[in-house]
Amino acid sequence: MYEIRFHGRGGQGGRMAAEAYALAAFLEGSYAVSFPFFGAERRGAPVRAFTRVDDKKIRIKTQVYEPDYVVVLDETLIETEDVLEGLKEDGMVIINTAKKPEEVRLSKPVKCATVDATSIALEILGRPITNTAILGAIAKATGRVSIDSIEKAIIEKFGARLGKEAGEKNAKAARVAYEKTLVGVAQGGKAFVPRKKWLPTVEEMPIGGATPAMETDAGLVGIGSFIENKTGDWRTFMPIIDKEKCIGCKFCWFYCPEGCISMEDGKASVDYDYCKGCGICANECPVNAIEMKREVRT
Amino acid sequence: MIQKLPAKKMVVTGDYAAAYGALLCDVDVVAAYPITPQTLIVEEFSNFVNDGITDAEFIMVESEHSAMSACIAAQAAGARTYTATASQGLALMHEMLFIASALRLPIVMPVVNRTVAAPIGIWCEHNDSMPQRDTGWIQMACEDNQEVLDMIIMAYKIGERKDVLLPVMPCLDAFILSHTVEPVDAPSSDEVADFIGKYEPHAMLDPDNPMAIGTFTPPEYIQELRYQNHVAMENAKKAIKEVTKEFADEFGRDYHGLIEEYKCDDAEVVLITVGTVTGTAREVVDKLRQQGKKVGLIKLRFYRPFPREELRSIAENVEAIGVYDRAISYGSGGPLFIETRNALYGMDVPVLNFLAGLGGRDVVTGDVEKMYEILMKAKDSKPDKEIYWIGTRGVSI
Ligand code: SF4
Ligand code: SF4
Repeated sequence: MYEIRFHGRGGQGGRMAAEAYALAAFLEGSYAVSFPFFGAERRGAPVRAFTRVDDKKIRIKTQVYEPDYVVVLDETLIETEDVLEGLKEDGMVIINTAKKPEEVRLSKPVKCATVDATSIALEILGRPITNTAILGAIAKATGRVSIDSIEKAIIEKFGARLGKEAGEKNAKAARVAYEKTLVGVAQGGKAFVPRKKWLPTVEEMPIGGATPAMETDAGLVGIGSFIENKTGDWRTFMPIIDKEKCIGCKFCWFYCPEGCISMEDGKASVDYDYCKGCGICANECPVNAIEMKREVRT
Repeated sequence: MIQKLPAKKMVVTGDYAAAYGALLCDVDVVAAYPITPQTLIVEEFSNFVNDGITDAEFIMVESEHSAMSACIAAQAAGARTYTATASQGLALMHEMLFIASALRLPIVMPVVNRTVAAPIGIWCEHNDSMPQRDTGWIQMACEDNQEVLDMIIMAYKIGERKDVLLPVMPCLDAFILSHTVEPVDAPSSDEVADFIGKYEPHAMLDPDNPMAIGTFTPPEYIQELRYQNHVAMENAKKAIKEVTKEFADEFGRDYHGLIEEYKCDDAEVVLITVGTVTGTAREVVDKLRQQGKKVGLIKLRFYRPFPREELRSIAENVEAIGVYDRAISYGSGGPLFIETRNALYGMDVPVLNFLAGLGGRDVVTGDVEKMYEILMKAKDSKPDKEIYWIGTRGVSI
């Protein structure tokens, strides 16, 4: 049996990738299971998904703690957490990034494959949804399933949902990614302060879970955690407000699901610390004063 | 705030007693939706507001679900709240009941036990409150209108205790109490205020001191919260005993904690009853005692927390136990029967279940006599079945 852990963000399709991979393995005669684990159920929040493949029925129902492969759909995640946690000694990490494997820095040197799945997706699909492109990279990097099976699985799974043409486009994204994937070794040495978790005992747990801004040795919790967790780093697109065009109608303010638009001198203004780049504000603005711009991170 | 109310004797319905109890407790917010046979409670309380006896906020909502939601929000903002419901209305609230208990909000809500459709009936059955067993509420049943009034007062005192902080559901039988007038002694508002004290919330929604209540909580935390609620419910046993004792000292009426034993001392067989059947059964016990039969009665007051220890200690000295249920869990047995047998696990005493009065059918003295007759037989020879449908046409006993 081998196990894969997918790291992505809600809305990026990590779960679909994990399922499509399982289907590809199944098409080759293996037994495969796949399941997601959601954190906060929101677009942009870190999400994990898991796939197990074996030649016999898989009975274990736990999450995957010691994967053979780690797949990272969102590059920003390698900055904030040690994605290698629990990875087997000879395991491999597959990352969506424009960098070469040798340019990637992780907690330790490790077999690494990279592919710029975001650019491939934008070019072929017109959207930064990388979950199909990354599957091509997995096929190339691991050699566990053929790219043909990956394509078949994508056409079956995505075609059924999005139509034949979309299915084929996604399969093409996987094929292109397969061809462009680079395999090498990532650098180690990146230090992660292990994130302390607040794990109160029954005694320590506030009654009924009612939490004020509480200082713990794992940082602020309860209402305070919102102050510390700057969710703005989940963004791919950034809303830019044209103050000239803005008529101050407050539609964006009303519709923003994160409450991060405020009105300053009668014009809308975005709190980028918490804006997740969902684009709802741009969609609602009656005078098209908001433009969603691709955000490039260095 | 309420006007000062002197102690008085009244001849009132159970519903009035429930409303007057809430008035005496100086509740801040009442949110309710009317449903027969609870309607009088809401009406009476709205009269108190209309007459200026209380300045409580009275919220007319569009459903019971909203009534409970409004109470939860108000209680979370630090108010002492009150509502009442019955039957289908309670079923509609089900979802919100879990929230009240998990957030540790000591809301008090009398439930007028009415049959849950289908078919539609307005009379007494316990199949509305019994299914709320796992929602985390303290649940108890009243025998008469005096107990209804007294229990509302005690409910606030028990629920608001720092070691409890749980919502309380005193139950009263439809019509048999809700629409029956009988004499009730009401204490003065000052006495009640002294007895229950001020409500001090453990946590409060306050814009100046923001707090997260009931937010999205991942698996790392919920199990500990569940355990806290379990401990609180166990603590409620002690709280109930202490508060009933304090109440007896203060007002002279003793409800004996989680259960009341009636002529159990030398009893060979005992019957466990719930709700108004208890009163009828007391009559039967007296009659049978006159005939020299050693029978006793246990009035089960609390269903949650369940008086496990009390029942075990009584079971040690009797030869057969009967459990009266006014509800049935299809494919198993009456809820109290199931619970009692579980509590008595490992003890060597036959436990039988008597179902009677479903859908509001009157439970008459003859029915109760029948139960004792079966129990007396069971003490001498092993009974051939466990569940007896008393007075059910076409079903032999
Ligand atoms: S993109 Fe607009 S609507 Fe979405 S979170 Fe940012 S400011 Fe709010
Ligand atoms: S919706 Fe557009 S016009 Fe209206 S306030 Fe927002 S940015 Fe300005």
